[in-house]
Amino acid sequence: MSVRLSKTFIFRDLYYHLSKPFWPGEYQQEILRKSINQELNIKLNQLERDNLRLRRLLDLQNFSEANKLNSSVISRNTGSWWKKILLNKGSQNGVSIGDAVIGPGGLIGIIENTSKLTSSVQLLTSPSSKVGVWNQRANLHGLLIGVGTKTPKLLFYSKNLDIQIGDYILSSPASTILPPNIPIGIIQSIDNESQPNTIATVQLTGKPEAIDWVQIFRIRF
Amino acid sequence: MRLHFNQYLPTISFLLIPLLIYWNPSWLSLMGYQAYWPIFWLLPWALIHGPFKSMLLGLLLGFILDTINADLYTQIPGLMICGFWFGKVGSLNRFNYSPIQFGVTAAIGCLICDVIYFSQIVIKLLLENSPLWFFFHGVQIIFAQVLLTSLLAPFFCKWLYFFFNKKYKLKI
Repeated sequence: MSVRLSKTFIFRDLYYHLSKPFWPGEYQQEILRKSINQELNIKLNQLERDNLRLRRLLDLQNFSEANKLNSSVISRNTGSWWKKILLNKGSQNGVSIGDAVIGPGGLIGIIENTSKLTSSVQLLTSPSSKVGVWNQRANLHGLLIGVGTKTPKLLFYSKNLDIQIGDYILSSPASTILPPNIPIGIIQSIDNESQPNTIATVQLTGKPEAIDWVQIFRIRF
Repeated sequence: MRLHFNQYLPTISFLLIPLLIYWNPSWLSLMGYQAYWPIFWLLPWALIHGPFKSMLLGLLLGFILDTINADLYTQIPGLMICGFWFGKVGSLNRFNYSPIQFGVTAAIGCLICDVIYFSQIVIKLLLENSPLWFFFHGVQIIFAQVLLTSLLAPFFCKWLYFFFNKKYKLKI
Protein backbone atom coordinates (compact mmCIF):
# COMPACT_ATOMS: atom_id res chain seq x y z
CA MET A 1 0.00 0.00 0.00
CA SER A 2 2.70 2.47 1.05
CA VAL A 3 4.80 1.59 -2.03
CA ARG A 4 1.81 2.25 -4.28
CA LEU A 5 1.19 5.59 -2.64
CA SER A 6 4.82 6.65 -2.90
CA LYS A 7 4.87 5.77 -6.64
CA THR A 8 1.95 8.15 -7.26
CA PHE A 9 3.96 10.95 -5.70
CA ILE A 10 6.35 10.69 -8.64
CA PHE A 11 3.47 11.46 -11.03
CA ARG A 12 2.31 14.26 -8.83
CA ASP A 13 5.77 15.83 -8.81
CA LEU A 14 6.05 15.30 -12.54
CA TYR A 15 2.74 17.06 -13.05
CA TYR A 16 4.10 19.90 -10.90
CA HIS A 17 7.00 20.45 -13.31
CA LEU A 18 4.93 20.00 -16.46
CA SER A 19 2.18 22.38 -15.39
CA LYS A 20 4.54 25.02 -13.99
CA PRO A 21 4.62 27.21 -17.16
CA PHE A 22 0.82 27.34 -17.18
CA TRP A 23 0.33 28.42 -13.58
CA PRO A 24 -1.61 31.63 -12.87
CA GLY A 25 0.90 34.39 -13.52
CA GLU A 26 1.41 37.95 -12.27
CA TYR A 27 -1.78 39.13 -13.97
CA GLN A 28 -3.97 36.70 -12.03
CA GLN A 29 -2.12 37.61 -8.83
CA GLU A 30 -2.86 41.27 -9.46
CA ILE A 31 -6.55 40.54 -10.02
CA LEU A 32 -6.59 38.56 -6.81
CA ARG A 33 -4.78 41.36 -4.92
CA LYS A 34 -7.20 43.96 -6.26
CA SER A 35 -10.22 41.93 -5.24
CA ILE A 36 -8.74 41.38 -1.76
CA ASN A 37 -8.10 45.13 -1.46
CA GLN A 38 -11.67 45.86 -2.53
CA GLU A 39 -12.97 43.39 0.01
CA LEU A 40 -10.82 44.95 2.75
CA ASN A 41 -11.92 48.46 1.78
CA ILE A 42 -15.57 47.45 1.98
CA LYS A 43 -14.93 45.88 5.40
CA LEU A 44 -13.02 48.99 6.54
CA ASN A 45 -15.83 51.33 5.44
CA GLN A 46 -18.36 49.14 7.16
CA LEU A 47 -16.30 49.08 10.38
CA GLU A 48 -15.79 52.85 10.25
CA ARG A 49 -19.53 53.37 9.87
CA ASP A 50 -20.21 50.98 12.76
CA ASN A 51 -17.59 52.72 14.86
CA LEU A 52 -19.10 56.13 14.13
CA ARG A 53 -22.60 54.89 14.97
CA LEU A 54 -21.43 53.33 18.25
CA ARG A 55 -19.47 56.44 19.19
CA ARG A 56 -22.60 58.51 18.61
CA LEU A 57 -24.54 56.13 20.84
CA LEU A 58 -21.89 56.52 23.55
CA ASP A 59 -21.82 60.28 23.00
CA LEU A 60 -18.06 60.20 22.33
CA GLN A 61 -16.09 62.51 20.06
CA ASN A 62 -16.59 61.58 16.43
CA PHE A 63 -15.13 62.89 13.23
CA SER A 64 -16.69 62.66 9.83
CA GLU A 65 -15.21 63.54 6.44
CA ALA A 66 -16.95 66.92 6.61
CA ASN A 67 -14.70 67.92 9.51
CA LYS A 68 -11.53 67.31 7.51
CA LEU A 69 -9.76 70.11 5.72
CA ASN A 70 -6.79 69.68 3.39
CA SER A 71 -4.00 72.20 3.76
CA SER A 72 -0.47 72.68 2.49
CA VAL A 73 2.61 73.49 4.56
CA ILE A 74 3.90 76.97 3.66
CA SER A 75 6.62 77.30 6.28
CA ARG A 76 8.51 74.69 8.20
CA ASN A 77 10.39 75.54 11.36
CA THR A 78 11.13 72.06 12.64
CA GLY A 79 14.69 72.89 13.69
CA SER A 80 15.68 75.48 16.26
CA TRP A 81 13.62 76.22 19.39
CA TRP A 82 10.30 76.36 17.62
CA LYS A 83 8.97 73.04 16.38
CA LYS A 84 6.26 74.52 14.23
CA ILE A 85 4.82 74.45 10.76
CA LEU A 86 2.66 77.06 9.12
CA LEU A 87 -0.42 76.04 7.09
CA ASN A 88 -2.23 77.91 4.34
CA LYS A 89 -5.66 77.65 6.00
CA GLY A 90 -6.76 79.96 8.77
CA SER A 91 -9.78 81.16 10.71
CA GLN A 92 -11.41 82.18 7.43
CA ASN A 93 -11.58 78.47 6.56
CA GLY A 94 -12.95 77.52 9.96
CA VAL A 95 -9.67 76.40 11.52
CA SER A 96 -9.55 77.02 15.26
CA ILE A 97 -7.06 76.58 18.10
CA GLY A 98 -6.82 72.97 19.29
CA ASP A 99 -7.72 71.35 15.97
CA ALA A 100 -5.71 68.22 15.25
CA VAL A 101 -3.29 68.13 12.31
CA ILE A 102 -2.70 64.82 10.60
CA GLY A 103 -0.11 64.07 7.95
CA PRO A 104 0.74 60.90 6.05
CA GLY A 105 1.55 58.44 8.81
CA GLY A 106 -0.50 59.94 11.61
CA LEU A 107 -0.96 62.83 14.01
CA ILE A 108 1.77 65.47 13.78
CA GLY A 109 0.51 68.27 15.99
CA ILE A 110 -2.19 70.62 17.22
CA ILE A 111 -3.21 74.05 15.91
CA GLU A 112 -1.60 76.56 18.25
CA ASN A 113 -2.86 79.82 16.81
CA THR A 114 -4.60 81.08 13.71
CA SER A 115 -4.66 84.21 11.61
CA LYS A 116 -7.28 84.93 8.97
CA LEU A 117 -5.37 83.08 6.24
CA THR A 118 -2.85 80.89 8.08
CA SER A 119 -2.53 78.67 11.11
CA SER A 120 0.49 77.62 13.14
CA VAL A 121 0.89 74.01 14.25
CA GLN A 122 2.68 73.03 17.40
CA LEU A 123 4.38 69.75 16.53
CA LEU A 124 4.41 66.73 18.84
CA THR A 125 8.20 67.12 18.97
CA SER A 126 7.94 70.61 20.52
CA PRO A 127 9.04 70.84 24.17
CA SER A 128 5.71 72.56 24.90
CA SER A 129 3.67 69.66 23.51
CA LYS A 130 1.86 67.28 25.88
CA VAL A 131 -0.72 64.88 24.46
CA GLY A 132 -2.66 62.03 26.06
CA VAL A 133 -2.13 58.81 24.09
CA TRP A 134 -3.13 55.17 24.20
CA ASN A 135 -1.13 51.97 23.91
CA GLN A 136 -3.37 49.83 21.74
CA ARG A 137 -1.99 46.39 22.66
CA ALA A 138 -1.75 46.90 26.42
CA ASN A 139 -4.83 49.16 26.68
CA LEU A 140 -2.87 51.74 28.63
CA HIS A 141 -3.06 55.51 28.68
CA GLY A 142 0.09 57.62 28.78
CA LEU A 143 1.32 61.16 28.25
CA LEU A 144 3.40 61.95 25.16
CA ILE A 145 5.83 64.79 25.91
CA GLY A 146 7.88 66.57 23.24
CA VAL A 147 11.56 67.01 24.07
CA GLY A 148 12.77 68.86 21.00
CA THR A 149 14.15 65.78 19.26
CA LYS A 150 12.38 63.66 16.62
CA THR A 151 11.53 61.07 19.27
CA PRO A 152 9.20 62.32 22.03
CA LYS A 153 9.01 60.63 25.44
CA LEU A 154 6.01 58.63 26.56
CA LEU A 155 5.26 58.69 30.26
CA PHE A 156 3.20 56.00 32.00
CA TYR A 157 2.31 56.78 35.60
CA SER A 158 3.12 53.36 37.01
CA LYS A 159 5.78 50.66 36.92
CA ASN A 160 5.98 47.09 35.62
CA LEU A 161 3.55 47.62 32.80
CA ASP A 162 2.98 45.29 29.90
CA ILE A 163 4.50 47.53 27.25
CA GLN A 164 6.85 46.31 24.57
CA ILE A 165 9.11 47.76 21.91
CA GLY A 166 7.09 47.97 18.70
CA ASP A 167 3.75 48.71 20.39
CA TYR A 168 1.54 51.11 18.45
CA ILE A 169 0.65 54.42 20.05
CA LEU A 170 -2.66 55.99 19.06
CA SER A 171 -4.79 58.88 20.17
CA SER A 172 -7.11 57.78 22.93
CA PRO A 173 -10.46 56.32 21.77
CA ALA A 174 -12.13 58.26 24.58
CA SER A 175 -10.36 61.54 23.86
CA THR A 176 -12.44 64.69 23.68
CA ILE A 177 -9.50 66.78 22.47
CA LEU A 178 -8.09 64.67 19.64
CA PRO A 179 -9.77 62.55 16.98
CA PRO A 180 -9.93 58.97 18.30
CA ASN A 181 -7.65 56.13 17.19
CA ILE A 182 -5.29 58.22 15.07
CA PRO A 183 -1.84 56.58 14.73
CA ILE A 184 0.88 58.57 16.46
CA GLY A 185 3.97 56.39 16.68
CA ILE A 186 5.71 53.20 17.66
CA ILE A 187 7.55 52.52 20.92
CA GLN A 188 11.26 52.53 20.11
CA SER A 189 12.80 51.92 23.52
CA ILE A 190 11.70 51.53 27.13
CA ASP A 191 13.52 52.87 30.17
CA ASN A 192 12.69 50.51 33.02
CA GLU A 193 15.23 52.11 35.36
CA SER A 194 13.29 55.35 35.75
CA GLN A 195 11.39 55.81 39.02
CA PRO A 196 8.49 55.99 39.77
CA ASN A 197 7.20 56.11 36.18
CA THR A 198 7.80 54.07 33.08
CA ILE A 199 9.31 56.14 30.30
CA ALA A 200 9.42 55.06 26.68
CA THR A 201 10.80 56.72 23.58
CA VAL A 202 8.41 56.94 20.64
CA GLN A 203 9.26 57.03 16.96
CA LEU A 204 6.56 59.17 15.32
CA THR A 205 4.89 57.73 12.23
CA GLY A 206 4.15 61.19 10.77
CA LYS A 207 7.27 63.06 9.59
CA PRO A 208 6.65 66.82 9.82
CA GLU A 209 10.07 67.66 8.39
CA ALA A 210 9.19 65.97 5.10
CA ILE A 211 5.48 66.46 4.44
CA ASP A 212 3.91 69.10 2.22
CA TRP A 213 0.23 68.36 2.70
CA VAL A 214 -1.73 67.77 5.89
CA GLN A 215 -5.32 67.32 6.99
CA ILE A 216 -6.82 69.50 9.68
CA PHE A 217 -9.49 67.79 11.79
CA ARG A 218 -11.80 70.56 12.86
CA ILE A 219 -13.03 69.72 16.33
CA ARG A 220 -16.67 70.54 16.87
CA PHE A 221 -18.54 69.97 20.12
CA MET B 1 14.22 109.91 -10.70
CA ARG B 2 17.32 108.59 -9.02
CA LEU B 3 16.85 107.09 -5.60
CA HIS B 4 19.45 106.41 -2.96
CA PHE B 5 18.85 102.74 -2.44
CA ASN B 6 20.81 102.81 0.83
CA GLN B 7 18.24 105.16 2.32
CA TYR B 8 15.59 102.46 2.20
CA LEU B 9 17.79 99.39 2.58
CA PRO B 10 17.70 99.29 6.43
CA THR B 11 13.88 99.35 6.37
CA ILE B 12 13.61 96.83 3.54
CA SER B 13 16.14 94.47 5.10
CA PHE B 14 14.45 94.88 8.51
CA LEU B 15 11.14 93.79 6.99
CA LEU B 16 12.87 90.87 5.31
CA ILE B 17 13.92 89.30 8.64
CA PRO B 18 10.47 87.85 9.52
CA LEU B 19 10.08 86.61 5.93
CA LEU B 20 13.50 84.96 6.13
CA ILE B 21 12.48 83.26 9.38
CA TYR B 22 9.31 81.94 7.71
CA TRP B 23 11.24 80.86 4.63
CA ASN B 24 13.72 79.01 6.86
CA PRO B 25 16.08 77.83 4.10
CA SER B 26 17.00 74.27 4.99
CA TRP B 27 20.09 74.31 2.76
CA LEU B 28 21.58 76.99 4.99
CA SER B 29 21.46 75.01 8.21
CA LEU B 30 23.86 73.16 10.48
CA MET B 31 22.75 69.86 12.06
CA GLY B 32 19.22 70.87 11.00
CA TYR B 33 19.33 74.22 12.84
CA GLN B 34 19.20 77.69 11.37
CA ALA B 35 21.44 80.66 12.07
CA TYR B 36 20.00 83.39 14.30
CA TRP B 37 18.97 85.76 11.49
CA PRO B 38 18.12 88.94 13.50
CA ILE B 39 21.78 89.24 14.60
CA PHE B 40 22.91 89.71 10.99
CA TRP B 41 20.77 92.84 10.75
CA LEU B 42 21.17 94.17 14.27
CA LEU B 43 24.98 94.00 14.39
CA PRO B 44 25.80 96.25 11.38
CA TRP B 45 22.96 98.62 12.24
CA ALA B 46 24.13 98.95 15.85
CA LEU B 47 27.74 99.51 14.82
CA ILE B 48 26.62 102.61 12.91
CA HIS B 49 23.85 103.98 15.15
CA GLY B 50 25.18 103.42 18.69
CA PRO B 51 23.89 101.63 21.80
CA PHE B 52 20.64 103.41 22.70
CA LYS B 53 18.99 103.50 19.30
CA SER B 54 20.06 99.89 18.79
CA MET B 55 18.58 98.83 22.12
CA LEU B 56 15.24 100.31 21.02
CA LEU B 57 15.54 98.57 17.66
CA GLY B 58 16.31 95.35 19.57
CA LEU B 59 13.03 95.86 21.45
CA LEU B 60 11.12 96.38 18.20
CA LEU B 61 12.79 93.43 16.51
CA GLY B 62 12.13 91.19 19.50
CA PHE B 63 8.51 92.31 19.56
CA ILE B 64 8.04 91.35 15.91
CA LEU B 65 9.79 88.01 16.34
CA ASP B 66 7.70 87.21 19.41
CA THR B 67 4.54 87.73 17.40
CA ILE B 68 5.86 85.28 14.80
CA ASN B 69 6.55 82.52 17.27
CA ALA B 70 3.67 83.39 19.59
CA ASP B 71 4.77 81.29 22.54
CA LEU B 72 5.34 81.97 26.22
CA TYR B 73 8.98 82.90 25.83
CA THR B 74 10.38 86.19 24.60
CA GLN B 75 13.39 87.22 22.52
CA ILE B 76 13.15 90.88 23.57
CA PRO B 77 15.69 90.90 26.48
CA GLY B 78 18.35 89.10 24.45
CA LEU B 79 17.99 91.38 21.43
CA MET B 80 17.93 94.54 23.61
CA ILE B 81 21.14 93.49 25.38
CA CYS B 82 22.73 92.63 22.03
CA GLY B 83 21.64 95.94 20.50
CA PHE B 84 23.15 97.88 23.39
CA TRP B 85 26.37 95.85 23.42
CA PHE B 86 26.84 95.93 19.64
CA GLY B 87 26.37 99.72 19.76
CA LYS B 88 29.02 100.00 22.49
CA VAL B 89 31.38 97.80 20.48
CA GLY B 90 30.88 100.05 17.45
CA SER B 91 31.85 103.13 19.41
CA LEU B 92 35.18 101.54 20.39
CA ASN B 93 38.10 102.51 18.22
CA ARG B 94 39.47 98.98 18.47
CA PHE B 95 36.69 97.51 16.29
CA ASN B 96 38.26 97.44 12.83
CA TYR B 97 35.38 95.66 10.97
CA SER B 98 37.40 92.59 10.07
CA PRO B 99 35.54 89.34 9.21
CA ILE B 100 36.85 87.69 12.40
CA GLN B 101 35.56 90.53 14.56
CA PHE B 102 32.15 90.34 12.89
CA GLY B 103 32.10 86.56 13.37
CA VAL B 104 33.11 86.62 17.04
CA THR B 105 30.77 89.51 17.94
CA ALA B 106 27.82 87.84 16.19
CA ALA B 107 28.62 84.53 17.92
CA ILE B 108 28.64 86.17 21.37
CA GLY B 109 25.40 88.02 20.54
CA CYS B 110 23.76 84.79 19.40
CA LEU B 111 24.96 83.04 22.55
CA ILE B 112 23.46 85.78 24.75
CA CYS B 113 20.07 85.57 22.96
CA ASP B 114 20.01 81.76 22.97
CA VAL B 115 21.01 81.41 26.63
CA ILE B 116 18.34 83.91 27.72
CA TYR B 117 15.71 82.12 25.64
CA PHE B 118 16.81 78.69 26.85
CA SER B 119 16.77 79.87 30.48
CA GLN B 120 13.13 80.85 30.12
CA ILE B 121 12.25 77.35 28.84
CA VAL B 122 14.22 75.68 31.65
CA ILE B 123 12.61 77.90 34.32
CA LYS B 124 9.13 77.10 32.98
CA LEU B 125 9.86 73.36 32.95
CA LEU B 126 11.22 73.55 36.51
CA LEU B 127 8.17 75.49 37.70
CA GLU B 128 5.91 72.87 36.12
CA ASN B 129 7.97 70.07 37.71
CA SER B 130 8.43 68.69 34.20
CA PRO B 131 11.51 66.55 33.53
CA LEU B 132 14.41 68.40 31.88
CA TRP B 133 14.59 66.09 28.85
CA PHE B 134 14.86 69.17 26.67
CA PHE B 135 18.13 70.27 28.29
CA PHE B 136 20.60 68.38 26.08
CA HIS B 137 18.67 69.24 22.95
CA GLY B 138 18.73 72.92 23.98
CA VAL B 139 22.51 72.83 24.41
CA GLN B 140 22.79 71.23 20.96
CA ILE B 141 20.64 74.00 19.42
CA ILE B 142 22.78 76.71 21.06
CA PHE B 143 26.00 75.10 19.85
CA ALA B 144 24.79 74.73 16.24
CA GLN B 145 23.20 78.17 16.09
CA VAL B 146 26.19 80.01 17.55
CA LEU B 147 28.59 78.22 15.23
CA LEU B 148 26.52 78.83 12.10
CA THR B 149 25.85 82.47 13.01
CA SER B 150 29.56 83.11 13.53
CA LEU B 151 30.41 81.49 10.19
CA LEU B 152 27.83 83.48 8.20
CA ALA B 153 28.20 86.79 10.04
CA PRO B 154 31.37 87.97 8.25
CA PHE B 155 29.52 87.73 4.95
CA PHE B 156 26.06 89.08 5.87
CA CYS B 157 27.12 91.65 8.47
CA LYS B 158 29.95 93.12 6.45
CA TRP B 159 27.73 93.36 3.38
CA LEU B 160 24.90 95.04 5.30
CA TYR B 161 27.35 97.33 7.13
CA PHE B 162 28.68 98.45 3.77
CA PHE B 163 25.17 99.29 2.51
CA PHE B 164 23.92 100.85 5.78
CA ASN B 165 26.93 103.15 5.93
CA LYS B 166 26.08 106.57 4.51
CA LYS B 167 29.56 106.93 3.05
CA TYR B 168 28.64 104.46 0.33
CA LYS B 169 25.65 105.39 -1.74
CA LEU B 170 24.27 103.04 -4.35
CA LYS B 171 22.13 104.92 -6.86
CA ILE B 172 19.32 103.21 -8.75
